[in-house]
Amino acid sequence: MTEDYINICLADDDQDDRLFFTDAFDELKIRTKVSTFNDGVELMNYLNNADSILPNVLFLDLNMPKKNGVECLSEIKRNEKFNDIAIAIYSTSSSEEHIEETFINGANIYIKKPNDFETLKKILSEVVTINWQYHTSGLNKDNFLMRM
Amino acid sequence: MKVYLKYNYPQLTKKIIEDKLSELGYKFKIVGFGEFNFLEKVPNEKLVELTEYFQEYGIEIVENQKSVLVQKIKDTIVEMVTSDTPPNVKSSVYIAEKLNLSYVYLSSVFSEVTYTSIENYIIIQKIELAKHLIINTNMNLTEISIQLNYSSVAHLSTQFKNNTGMTPSAFQRIILKRKEFTNKNNS
Amino acid sequence: MKENYLHNSTLLLKIIFVISVAVIFFIGGITFKHIMVLKKTSTWVSNSHEVNAELERLISYIKDAETGQRGYILTRDKSFLTPYLRSKDLVKNSYKKVSKLTIHSRTQQANLKNLLFYINKRQNYLSKTLYLTAQENYDKTILRNNLIIGKNAMDSIRVKIEGMMIAQKNLLKNRQNDYESTMNYTPLLIYLTLIVTLILITIAFIKMNRDLATLKKTIYTLSVANEANNLAEIVGGFGSWQFNLETNDYTFSDNEYRLLGCEPQSFKASIEEFAKFVHPDDLQYVIDNAKNIPVNSTLPAFTYRVIRKDGEIRYFRALGRVVTIASGERTHIGTTSDVTEEVYAKNYIEDRNRELENNNKELTAFNYIASHDLQEPLRKIETFLSRLVTKDYDNLSKSGQQYVSSIQSSANRMRILIEDLLQFSRTNKNEKNYEETDLNVLLENAKQELTQIIDEKKAIIESTELPTLKVIRFQIQQLFINLIGNSLKYSKENITPIIKINCSTILANDDELLPQNNHRYYKFVFEDNGIGFEQEYAKKIFILFNRLHNKNEYEGTGIGLAICKKIVENHNGFIFAQGVLNEGATFTIYLRAD
Repeated sequence: MTEDYINICLADDDQDDRLFFTDAFDELKIRTKVSTFNDGVELMNYLNNADSILPNVLFLDLNMPKKNGVECLSEIKRNEKFNDIAIAIYSTSSSEEHIEETFINGANIYIKKPNDFETLKKILSEVVTINWQYHTSGLNKDNFLMRM
Repeated sequence: MKVYLKYNYPQLTKKIIEDKLSELGYKFKIVGFGEFNFLEKVPNEKLVELTEYFQEYGIEIVENQKSVLVQKIKDTIVEMVTSDTPPNVKSSVYIAEKLNLSYVYLSSVFSEVTYTSIENYIIIQKIELAKHLIINTNMNLTEISIQLNYSSVAHLSTQFKNNTGMTPSAFQRIILKRKEFTNKNNS
Repeated sequence: MKENYLHNSTLLLKIIFVISVAVIFFIGGITFKHIMVLKKTSTWVSNSHEVNAELERLISYIKDAETGQRGYILTRDKSFLTPYLRSKDLVKNSYKKVSKLTIHSRTQQANLKNLLFYINKRQNYLSKTLYLTAQENYDKTILRNNLIIGKNAMDSIRVKIEGMMIAQKNLLKNRQNDYESTMNYTPLLIYLTLIVTLILITIAFIKMNRDLATLKKTIYTLSVANEANNLAEIVGGFGSWQFNLETNDYTFSDNEYRLLGCEPQSFKASIEEFAKFVHPDDLQYVIDNAKNIPVNSTLPAFTYRVIRKDGEIRYFRALGRVVTIASGERTHIGTTSDVTEEVYAKNYIEDRNRELENNNKELTAFNYIASHDLQEPLRKIETFLSRLVTKDYDNLSKSGQQYVSSIQSSANRMRILIEDLLQFSRTNKNEKNYEETDLNVLLENAKQELTQIIDEKKAIIESTELPTLKVIRFQIQQLFINLIGNSLKYSKENITPIIKINCSTILANDDELLPQNNHRYYKFVFEDNGIGFEQEYAKKIFILFNRLHNKNEYEGTGIGLAICKKIVENHNGFIFAQGVLNEGATFTIYLRAD
């Protein structure tokens, strides 16, 4: 293994959610490096910076000020540089149309924010694990769809 | 125009390794998937050079013995899942026999390196194959469940849903719509 | 129809006229020809008589010459020679006359030539005899021979002339026969053609009479229709106008004037005059539309404002199209109606609709925001609670632990309520994504969604073939999930749940539950063998938050079936429930098939 860490990014305007998220990864026994961003603009600035380390998995809240999750998703999907990033939508909404739309737009994972911390940990662990399998076992990334 | 490709990864990698090693003038013998023996003595600094050389193809030289073992387990699983004639023994027995090591040991090594269990990895591979069959063939779910050695369609559906969070038909619909969407955006 | 009839009639009369003229010409021609024949025949008769007379004269001259000669020979008196000398010229003249008269008959001419030979011969012998007898001593035998030859020639002449006379008679007879046969059938032909002409003229007469009657009737109907039309225009509040595309003339009906508040026909019908009444803001619009009249065959309805003579602003609606009238002229005819009241009513309804729509939108938005945004803080409450429980549970007092778990269960229930409410508010008609969908696929999807619970309960789901319909896919799938899920939830313990899904086509008239009309419906029946319910609650179960069971017995918010009802109503369908306590429930859904 050449990478020591799994790089994770989260863009979410909600402070509590960012806290839950980082806490959950802290408690998981996976070597991860988590960076968080307060909105889509901050995130895109980071990703577009040539010096930045691109994440393995990017978690996107849909409802954000300035630039929302769907806009970020489209921007990322248009840029070939980001082809290797697995994108997980991380949202409160559970509308079927919403979910399908983000998948069609190129999201790999859709996570409805869970209501308890243990579930959150379990979900994040599963996401990272399965993404790791896609990353290491030559699975077809185009078929990587997951709903949690 | 968009062209869809399907690769045979083992064949692809084998070809690259053969070509590159021959190009550098090494004497070697390919043993199996992801493994070859040098037929001469090779100094360590040469190995470093080779590591860099292979890096651009995403091929790593795995030094760690455990990683080698995990790769072997993975290969065995892929071979088992994709084989037309499923083994008539439990997969744990099959893998242990195939690698001639105790399953408990294999299991612990696998979990340590991959963050997941052998059982789970088998499921991932089977679902991966199911996805492939759903998208690229005209087989229906019943046929796929038989091909993948599931006891029933319901069993496949349940496992598919547990693994991906969606039903096989939802998966198929989304992939089709996504292709339509990207085609429209590209044209 | 009538127009056509009259048109045909004119054609018939024209044909009869042409035939009659032709017949009269024909008769005239025949008559002229017969008069000519008659004239010719009388000429032939007199000609024949003349020929005969001349022939007789000819022979008498020859006889005179002979008689004179004979007298001279006997008496030697020179005076007897006078007729003989004269006869030479007379015979010659006479012969010429006969030749001239018979110029048209080849046989007679031949006969004549023959005759001339004998006449010459006779005259020859006469002069020879005369010469012989002038001698002092003439041979009596020679004289005798001469006389005999002369006599024979004379006989031949006689025979010849007789023959000629008979031939002439025959010729006349033949000609008279010819003429008679022609004259015989001529009157019949004339008579027949006259009768035919008479018949034709009679037909024409009858036809004309009949057409006249039809015309009278049509004129009458027309005047009644016209009157009715005038009346209808007054009652219905509309006027009509005509624009002749060939002559560029306008005609306005009386009521067209009245609509403008003017006396009928009080000004010349023209677009310029009419335009004076049109509201200045709409004038260009009206002119543009009027310009299109000669171009387009139909004038689509358009509404504009006019200012009546009394200054009141009214809304008019014009509508017209080009017709080709019987004379072949293209005319644009149209109507103008006063739609002021309708426009006001429509504006009112539109305002109300907009208001209602806004209210509805606000309500939906409120529902959505209420349920969606309420989720956020609730989720945090629950998450923090779960952290509290895992991290600090042991530090809490016994009662504190009790309180925390109560908070947890209340929060959990609240979450389920909010989620269901959210789904209910999302199930509305605004998201109009109707697509042609195979319901079998949706049922299959629904079953896949419910795989876990179906497996757990080992339920059996039987279904017949379902149709393909234009539906909102997610909603119908949700309907199936909710109905099957409902049946599974309220299944009896220790009994395999069996859900039977059946679909058939029916006519609304044949089902007492449906409005009585001729629409075709698909009838979907979901039947289970669960705990059922009492029929008196059949309507209540579809009401939001209505539950038949205590929440400790069966989990649920009372929203699932309310969502079903909403989905079915979004598709203009009907849903009914039937239940027998402890035996099972049946849900019947009707969706429009056409």
